[in-house]
Amino acid sequence: MARIVQRLPSVSPTRLLIWRAGAVIAALLLTTLFLALSGRDPALLAELVVRSTVGSRFGLEDLALFMTPLMLTGAAVTVTSRIGIWNIGAEGQFYAGAIGAAGIGLFVHGPALLVLPLMTFCGVLCGMAWILVPTLARAYASVNEIITTLLLNFVAALLTSYLAVGPWHDRVTGALASTARLPVAIPDLWGVVHWGFPLALAVVAILAATLDRTRWGYEVRISGANPEAARYAGIPVRARIVAVMLLSGALAALAGVSEVAGTVHRLQGGIANNFGYFGIVVAVLARGSCLNVLPAALLMAFILDSGIVLQTQQLTASTVLAITGLVLFMISIGDELAHYRPVSTSKEAAP
Amino acid sequence: MTDAPSSGEAPPLPPGTPPILQLMGISKYFPGVIANADVSLDVRPGEIHALLGENGAGKSTLMNIVTGIYQPDAGEIVLDGYAQRLASPQEAIRAGIGMVHQHFKLVQAFTVAENIHLGWRDTPPRASTRVLEARTRALSERFGFAVRPDARIADLSAGEQQRVEILRVLARQARLLILDEPTAVLTPTEARDLFRALQVFRAQGNAVILISHKLDEVMDISDRISILRGGRKIGTFATADCTPAMLARTMVGRDIVRRDLRARPPGAAPVAARPALGLRHVTTRDERGIETLRDVTLDLHGGEILGIAGVAGNGQRELTQVLTGLLAPDAGDILLDGVPVATPDPAHFARAGIGHIPEDRLRSGLAPSLDIADNMALREYDRPPIGGRGGYAPRAAQALARQIADAAAVRIPDYAMPIRNLSGGNQQRLVARREIRIADRILVAAYPSRGLDIGAIATVLGYLTDLRDRGVAIVLVSEDLEELLNVADRIGILFQGRLMATIDAATADMETIGLLMGGRTAAHTGGTT
Ligand SMILES: Nc1ncnc2c1ncn2[C@@H]1O[C@H](COP(=O)(O)OP(=O)(O)OP(=O)(O)O)[C@@H](O)[C@H]1O
Ligand SMILES: [Mg+2]
Repeated sequence: MARIVQRLPSVSPTRLLIWRAGAVIAALLLTTLFLALSGRDPALLAELVVRSTVGSRFGLEDLALFMTPLMLTGAAVTVTSRIGIWNIGAEGQFYAGAIGAAGIGLFVHGPALLVLPLMTFCGVLCGMAWILVPTLARAYASVNEIITTLLLNFVAALLTSYLAVGPWHDRVTGALASTARLPVAIPDLWGVVHWGFPLALAVVAILAATLDRTRWGYEVRISGANPEAARYAGIPVRARIVAVMLLSGALAALAGVSEVAGTVHRLQGGIANNFGYFGIVVAVLARGSCLNVLPAALLMAFILDSGIVLQTQQLTASTVLAITGLVLFMISIGDELAHYRPVSTSKEAAP
Repeated sequence: MTDAPSSGEAPPLPPGTPPILQLMGISKYFPGVIANADVSLDVRPGEIHALLGENGAGKSTLMNIVTGIYQPDAGEIVLDGYAQRLASPQEAIRAGIGMVHQHFKLVQAFTVAENIHLGWRDTPPRASTRVLEARTRALSERFGFAVRPDARIADLSAGEQQRVEILRVLARQARLLILDEPTAVLTPTEARDLFRALQVFRAQGNAVILISHKLDEVMDISDRISILRGGRKIGTFATADCTPAMLARTMVGRDIVRRDLRARPPGAAPVAARPALGLRHVTTRDERGIETLRDVTLDLHGGEILGIAGVAGNGQRELTQVLTGLLAPDAGDILLDGVPVATPDPAHFARAGIGHIPEDRLRSGLAPSLDIADNMALREYDRPPIGGRGGYAPRAAQALARQIADAAAVRIPDYAMPIRNLSGGNQQRLVARREIRIADRILVAAYPSRGLDIGAIATVLGYLTDLRDRGVAIVLVSEDLEELLNVADRIGILFQGRLMATIDAATADMETIGLLMGGRTAAHTGGTT
């Protein structure tokens, strides 16, 4: 009996989960070690982090608030990755969604039951408009979407700041660089957690079913894996690219809508909070599977939330960033290692 | 087992020259598959060593181990008498081992010169395009492989791409050149050129390992032959002691039954009177405006096999694309059941019962990175039990994949693994079976035996005749005239996009077809219909 280690082409989800859990624990141990070496009390910090995230009601509420936009931007990036496209512009589409929603919220007055759907509709439309040019350029002229979507992020961020300090600025209190508080809000569900959270969960679940269990989802998968084979099977690849990218813009915008209408209640500069970029991280962690977006978003939310807690304890922002990086780094190592498995080769198999 | 000549001992080497490459007890396991088991082999300077074996016998895997792509699970690699560990292809090429793969690994968007210099230690830093192209030209002259340094890979024919691959390897001073089914995609002329160059390479004291399913060419060019079966080496023979029949028997482990493929069994469907599909004066142009098909008119009848002969690149690709709805003619009509098709659409053609075994399975017939079930569903995902009402049932797709794999006699350890992990020949078998399933009325098969072992070729040609006997119309594009004369009822000859003639296979002879393939018109040859 000889035992050898070899790399398998596919990994079962359970295996992956075990390795990832191991990776996270390893990262936390490493962090603890470094914190202890630099003279801090890891136990104290750990206790604080646990208490202000999963260990208390307020912590859990915070986690859910972080998770809501991350699920949606993560789903936005995942859906394009299915067709072999990287939407780096979820940040910009988030802003566009926020602007669209805030515009309706500020200037259309009526019952919330009417205004909220209108805000959502308008926000989603703005997000789709924001990705429209990269979409057409990609589908009809094969222009690389990574650059075009990325550049539009900066435009969207500046536009938001301009609106928040300029034309839409709150002239009544005049203090903040933001618009006035919107008269309508997504109703709260549990503490500060609003209905955006379960809705985002539902959106991800529906998306997962669409991608895995519909003909359209299959066509997207084939188009992404080999466009030439897709054409051979009669799949309209261009139409699928356009649809997927617009859907992605809509999802990222939805995150913006929920943030404006549920959490922040006003439009302000920097409202996207890098959620668009963290969506890319979530998508990478999710490895192209929509359902994986849920745990990936939870992990990301936990990391972001802990980061804030740690910063209140005089850990610098760059230390927090380094810890975040370490966790993600260990996970990607774990992902790779999960492929390896010892295989026993009996003498009968190899005489 | 067989009456093969005693294995092994070819003429002894001059004393003191160790073999260039010596494999000792190499084994490689994949989950559920023993790809190589205890393979020992030596390759001497100045020989062309052929490696034969059925599809999935482990030939490509063994060579991937020799070039550092895979690590062996057991065994040793000895180079020039010294044991070596080759951790990567870069290390292998530094040790003088270069490989041209079954599926080319060039960067399609780059030029020839860029591909040659990619990842090469000798590439001058910050070299201009002009310098790279000049260096490429010099290399091309030195090794006798004509290439166009400034051409983009995507625009090159298979033969030209292969020359680039070989030149890439030779430029890095390879002394052992490994070619995995190099002639599968070459025209006979290109193959002859390749062999001439290989002989020059051998004369300089270098060695070649050649994987091929074409026994004739192996007999022609090789000095010794090793045969793998089920991952194990059966033996090494001096080519002079071999015959094609004996090689075939040793490879497969049993006799290959030949049957008369053109004869119809009792009860076979007769040739249909009305054509199922027809082309009328069809002309197509490529993006540069050059005519690729010129004024082609033909009819396909159920119950009949129409062979298409011709040197590759004379319009075969376009013809198969027009017949399957992938390419709209620039002039002329496609008649489906006598009705002109306004806008051809491949999905519509597939639903009408037209199957298509494409010439380049990896590029257009499969999504290599997706799993086997997804790939097998490609033609039936839009109908029950997989599709239906916009859904997609992964379970049903897997059941279909299982069914296709069983019919194709391909053993699959794991349906969730990417299809590119299957051996080249097994991929081809699956595509063929998948297309045969939907081909209720017409099957367009482009080089269906490419990459298949002799046993599998007989099987696939048998599938075609079975379909014919069920009343399906078949187009068989092939470069192998013998194969065409064996199975086709009529043979059309393409030359520069023109259908030179369509002749009755029963009365046709190789010579006439050969002349037509070279562009001589029917008037010169006589006896055509
Ligand atoms: N990366 C891989 N993962 C899993 N199985 C593999 C992998 N590569 C090869 N195999 C399996 O190993 C066996 C040998 O494959 P290999 O490609 O070496 O065959 P081959 O002799 O080159 O056949 P062909 O003539 O069809 O090209 C096959 O059963 C194949 O499915
Ligand atoms: Mg092979």
